Amino acid sequence: MAAPARGRLDPRSRILLVVIVSLAVMSPDGLRFVPAALALGTALALTDRAWRRAGALAAAGAAMFAGGWLTPLWWPHPITAVIALACQFTIRFVATVGVAAHLIATTSPTALSAGLRAAHAPRPIAVTLAVMLRFFPVVAGEAAAVADAMRLGGLAGAGGLARHPIRALERFAVPMIAASLRASEDLSASALVRGLGSRRRPSAMIPPRFTWADPAAGLALAALAALSWWARPLA
Amino acid sequence: MSANPQGDQTASAAARPSRLSARDLLSVAIFAVIFLVVVWAISMLGVISPLVWLMVTPLQIIAAAIAFMLFLTRVRHLGVISLFGLVIALFFLLAGNSLLSSAVIAAMGVVADLICRAGGYHSKWASIWAYTVFSLAFFSPFLPLFIDREGYFATATWESMGQEYIDATNKLLTGPVLCGLAVAIAASGFVGALIGSATLRKHFVRAGLA
Repeated sequence: MAAPARGRLDPRSRILLVVIVSLAVMSPDGLRFVPAALALGTALALTDRAWRRAGALAAAGAAMFAGGWLTPLWWPHPITAVIALACQFTIRFVATVGVAAHLIATTSPTALSAGLRAAHAPRPIAVTLAVMLRFFPVVAGEAAAVADAMRLGGLAGAGGLARHPIRALERFAVPMIAASLRASEDLSASALVRGLGSRRRPSAMIPPRFTWADPAAGLALAALAALSWWARPLA
Repeated sequence: MSANPQGDQTASAAARPSRLSARDLLSVAIFAVIFLVVVWAISMLGVISPLVWLMVTPLQIIAAAIAFMLFLTRVRHLGVISLFGLVIALFFLLAGNSLLSSAVIAAMGVVADLICRAGGYHSKWASIWAYTVFSLAFFSPFLPLFIDREGYFATATWESMGQEYIDATNKLLTGPVLCGLAVAIAASGFVGALIGSATLRKHFVRAGLA
């Protein structure tokens, strides 16, 4: 039986991290936790050696801060007020998605399933979430392919959507759904053959185990939360 | 009349299992992903401004209706649509939705499930009303405006806009306006379900996918 990777968080800790950050950032006074969540997401991306994700997250956070807080001070105007509102709203999503990206990038469907099983999650939820994690790249790929085909055919763009919204939606959604369903048939057959949904409790190749990294991440999270509480950034 | 009524009962129970099978779980997972990707792809247009965000919401509802109506053709017993609503709610919670918004999405899934059950999972109109109710999940992101209104306008940026601007915006986003938005979303859900139902006949039934 293989051992968990050193320094890597347990899948249960990764899920808990996303839930805590999401609840904190989206709470009524959650803007104060946004810088800490952005810092945490960037640090997790750096520990994963995902340089592009770390850079994109830092850049998105900086852009939202500039649009949401600096631009209205520089030019008080209704237009900048609308931009500020959009940025203040979006920065919370950017912060949460930054931490969720760590879960998605580092957790295989098998590891997620084993982690949820170890956390005693109900079988329907554990199996469904694991299949969703496996199926997301397939559907996203089909959606990108359909969007590319529409662009090549000159059918994409906001103009076409504004003129014939229903036709544009049909041209996008129907081929995307049909192609995804065809791809899903193979995946479903493969999953059923491998015992997905079996009533028997399967064993895991890499059983989820808590390591020193999990309490260390918990302490870092508590320190960031305490710092955000006292410093009140963005509030 | 059947020679073996007990045997018929057993066959009927086997044909309509009460527990969620592996195929049910796969259907929920596959259609939940399709639903989320369709919604996400269209919501990207809303990043431009909050006004565009409001305008693309009906388009999201109509496009997602195609996936939802196709999903309903594969549902045969209670619990499947509820599970669908629950995983959608969990995903939105992880993606940054509030706990209240996510709870509302899950609740809409349960109500949609009960409507479809009342229609025996074969009724077209039950499916249309089920989606109309489920589409109210798209109103859930606006719910924090009912709860944290003062906190929403108490940030430094809003204060820098001046009290007059804040008052004007506060006056625009009143309870009746938000209720009107909820009604508009439900109407979009109804129209979306009709279009989704027609799209199933036009494309998916012919292709053998529904």
